[in-house]
Amino acid sequence: MLSTLLAVTETAHESGIVQQFGLEPKFVIMQVVSFLILFGVLYQFGIKPTISTMEARNQKIADGLRHAEETQVRLAAAQQESAQLIKAAQHEAQKVVDEARKIAKEFGDKQQTEATARAADTLAKAQQAIELEHRKMLDQARGEIARLVVKTTEQVLAKKLSEADRAAYNTAATQELTAI
Amino acid sequence: MRADKKTKLLAKQLFKLSFVDGRISADHVAGVLGYVEKNAPRRALALLKLYLRAVQTEVAKSQALVEHAGPVSDATLKLIEAAMAKKYQRPVTASARANPRLLAGLRVRVGSDVYESTVAGQLAALSSAV
Repeated sequence: MLSTLLAVTETAHESGIVQQFGLEPKFVIMQVVSFLILFGVLYQFGIKPTISTMEARNQKIADGLRHAEETQVRLAAAQQESAQLIKAAQHEAQKVVDEARKIAKEFGDKQQTEATARAADTLAKAQQAIELEHRKMLDQARGEIARLVVKTTEQVLAKKLSEADRAAYNTAATQELTAI
Repeated sequence: MRADKKTKLLAKQLFKLSFVDGRISADHVAGVLGYVEKNAPRRALALLKLYLRAVQTEVAKSQALVEHAGPVSDATLKLIEAAMAKKYQRPVTASARANPRLLAGLRVRVGSDVYESTVAGQLAALSSAV
């Protein structure tokens, strides 16, 4: 660069431009050196930290964006997972409700069956009691009728049997008893 | 007065002494009664009651009480005596007693055994069967 500057200065000196504008090469060189020093100082203490800060900030921004994307992805996964969990929970709850309904229905059916059986048993017992009472009444009536018939028959026979009939019956009874 | 064990045993022995040829002998019974009267054993009244009951039971086994409704001939009684003697393997004496409640037929009682062929009995059997 310095060679380029010297070449430019030499060219300008040769063409008369330097004399025309009143330029002194040593001042120009000093200006250039001063500029370079200023530029170096500015670069070292101003531009470089600024660039570093900007790069750090950009990195932070990039990290933040990446983090946000990851968060977004995690959020979506979490939403999906929560949706699956909710679905599973709903499914489980539905199963529990169905099971409860089934158990309730079975319990109700069982209660109804037992009540029906009890009612049938009570009815059967009542019918048996009625039947027994009816049979007992019939037996009593039959016994009473038989007693009356026998008594009437005895009275009739006591009047109607003749001595000859009794003698004949006694003969038969004698044969029966002696054959024992 | 209740009879104790010794009294029962004595009554049983006296009862066995009253038999001759398998039948109650009136002489032996009189002898037993004389023995009791003479010796007056303990609980004599209870002893005599037991002895009397045993003799009555034994005598009843040799007697056939024939209850009847309607006429019964001596031949019928003889037939019954013969049948019962054959059945019980001992002499049996039959005695007749009229019982109009039998309507017709005979009821023979030997000891605690009863043989019956009567109209009243058949009606009673019919009544209980119905």
